[in-house]
Amino acid sequence: MSSGGADYVPSKTSGRLIAIIVALLIVTNVITAVGVYYAAAPKAAVVPVQVIGPWAGDAIKNPSSEWGKFKPVLDKFTNDTGIPYVYTPTRQEDLSPTLPIAFQAGQSPADLIFMPSATIKQWAAKNWVTDLTGTIGPSSYQAGALDPLTASGHIWGGAYTGKVKPGFWYNTTFFQANSWSAPTTWQGFFSLLGSIKNSTGNPPLMAGDGVGWPLSDVVEHFIETYGGASMHKALANRSLSWTDPSVKSIFQNYLVPTLTNGFWTAPTTWDNPGVTLWWDGTNPLYFMGSWITGMVPNPSALGVFPLPGGVANQGIVFAADYFFVPKFGAHQDLAKRLAQYLASEPAQELQVKQGGHVATAANVPTTAYPTVDRNVANLLSGKTVLSDLDDTIGNPFQGVFWSQLQSLWANPGTWQTVLTNIQTAAANQP
Amino acid sequence: MNRREGGPRPRLLPSIPGAGWILRRLRSQATFVAFILPATIFLIVLVIYPVVATLTLGFVGADGQFTGLDNFATVIGSKQTVNADCLQTGPPCGTLINNLIWIGLHLPLTMFMGLFLAMLLQRVRGAAIVKSMIFLGMVTPLIVIGTVLKFILEAPIGLVPAFFGSIGIKGLAVNWLTSNPSTLLFGLIMGTVWSWTGFSMIVYSAGLTTIPKDYFEAARVDGASEWQVFRKITWPLLKPVTLVIVTMTVLWELKLFDIVIGATNQQGGLGGAADVLALQMYRFFYVQDYNHAAVVATLLTIFTFVVSISLFRELLNLPRHKRRLLRARAKPAEVGTDSPQATIAPTGDSP
Repeated sequence: MSSGGADYVPSKTSGRLIAIIVALLIVTNVITAVGVYYAAAPKAAVVPVQVIGPWAGDAIKNPSSEWGKFKPVLDKFTNDTGIPYVYTPTRQEDLSPTLPIAFQAGQSPADLIFMPSATIKQWAAKNWVTDLTGTIGPSSYQAGALDPLTASGHIWGGAYTGKVKPGFWYNTTFFQANSWSAPTTWQGFFSLLGSIKNSTGNPPLMAGDGVGWPLSDVVEHFIETYGGASMHKALANRSLSWTDPSVKSIFQNYLVPTLTNGFWTAPTTWDNPGVTLWWDGTNPLYFMGSWITGMVPNPSALGVFPLPGGVANQGIVFAADYFFVPKFGAHQDLAKRLAQYLASEPAQELQVKQGGHVATAANVPTTAYPTVDRNVANLLSGKTVLSDLDDTIGNPFQGVFWSQLQSLWANPGTWQTVLTNIQTAAANQP
Repeated sequence: MNRREGGPRPRLLPSIPGAGWILRRLRSQATFVAFILPATIFLIVLVIYPVVATLTLGFVGADGQFTGLDNFATVIGSKQTVNADCLQTGPPCGTLINNLIWIGLHLPLTMFMGLFLAMLLQRVRGAAIVKSMIFLGMVTPLIVIGTVLKFILEAPIGLVPAFFGSIGIKGLAVNWLTSNPSTLLFGLIMGTVWSWTGFSMIVYSAGLTTIPKDYFEAARVDGASEWQVFRKITWPLLKPVTLVIVTMTVLWELKLFDIVIGATNQQGGLGGAADVLALQMYRFFYVQDYNHAAVVATLLTIFTFVVSISLFRELLNLPRHKRRLLRARAKPAEVGTDSPQATIAPTGDSP
């Protein structure tokens, strides 16, 4: 017994007792845990394949959202194979800086990831990408669809569906009401722009602004029309300089006059208010990709025409969505099966049926497309299909290209400086 | 040997501590180590290693080979950082110049607006509510402010172009984000003034409450005008507060990122007109060019360090006039005396 005032010291007996109780608790818990694990745990859990893609939206409340249209494709994969999936929507701009860090640490947040083709090829060179040669092949695709993902005879990813960037979209109802029609010559196009401007008092051409990309699509269209597919390809593979006289002449004779004559709006947020102002006739011509068919209340009233009066061998940009299988994914085998499926005709047919997409897989029947998309798909015929130029080159060129074009729209008089700056970025691209 | 024989005296041995002393010593050291070790580990892993690694990255190439100051020369010599042409052609001026423009415009505007509002609301009923509303800009996430600015500045939906349109200034009734590099930069600076003024207002308000009312009363009794009261009493006594505001604001302006990327894009808008150092660092990082990203990070750290050190010097040291006074007092005491007490500096303020 302790005397008054002295510190309390627990007896040795109670200390031992506590130790015994703790030891007993640990032992019984371990035995219980092991017993429960073997009695209740499933023998072989079904592992889901992890997918990261750019399409977001609420698939249940809004089935016409981007994710709402992609979900049935993944659901069919699960139904056919019994392999569940976990889908995470993430913007590719956000993945670009973070995935390399994960890969350098030998980890991957998913088994199959959608990224631009240039990025996939860059990462393949760093040995972060699984070679899909043999898993998917050109025979199941339309000609050239896998070219952006092929290097040294190896296929580093797959092409999913894509969108076409065919030309200037307009509201046919509005055009008919004003007795305007699609032009067939450059002079006709120029005078149409003048007529619209005089009539509405506003610039006839809506310039979209996202992070810069709508303007780059416009410039590519001028190049592929008046310089041809060969010039577009040469600029994409950087064998032709942006300051070459042939490129300069397209800017000087075609694009810059439309800017200096005030035919373009200042770049405006492309979806809203861009689409609204275009569709209500404030700025009645809008260069956009085929995804715009899903953004208007009445798609049947949509009309589209390409820049008229171009060279013989014109091109048309087809921007596909590309996917790859990271080397560090936990389930390579499942990812390869999913890659094979996404490259197949049944998966892509299911996707295009819902509108807004054009297949890269071979043998997708034209009857699978909604009418408006069928017309878009038909625009591909007779033209060389091109990959998006800045997507093909990738960053940091892409960012500079976008920002320089914004600068061009603000100050068209500086077009030669803009071309010099773009060429510098192209030359410095690793 | 016998001591009486005058032989060498045995050396006095230091008292050897017993086992108990050693144990106690070890135990006290263990406690010390136990307390300091977790913090040290965190500091090494989360601060010291990243700082050293970042500094090192700036001096090596992508292949890990030492490159000296090449990376620094590339970044500082780039037009993205300093575009001398902007003196003739206007923006873009480069990230470093843009940061300086931001400091040059944003700092005085926020500081004096904050001071003005703090004085204005000093004796106003319901001032707390007004101050809270102004301070909201300060607590709103900067990325949200960037996005809001996008809506405010973009024609035709934005308030700013609509306002100038309504008063007939067509030159400013344009899309401030994409029509002109100057309107973009100026528009974003104005937006940040709105968001940061709350900070200087609150700090000045706190500073004003520390000035004794007697000073003002005495000055007014002596017939001083309000301007003289402000110039001779308020402003000098607010100097320490002003120093804090200036330092914090400059640091904030140097690390500016969210507002710019929220309102524009990774490039800082058209032609990089609103590009800033932190965004440039992010871009290098984005394309896995860690070496050049580290250079920008190092430059930012140096600028931040230069600014902060002036604050810490002022905050940690006594004011200069006090130091002079103390030295003057100490000198006569040192003359002609060896007394250690005479060199002890007096601590009182009285002459």
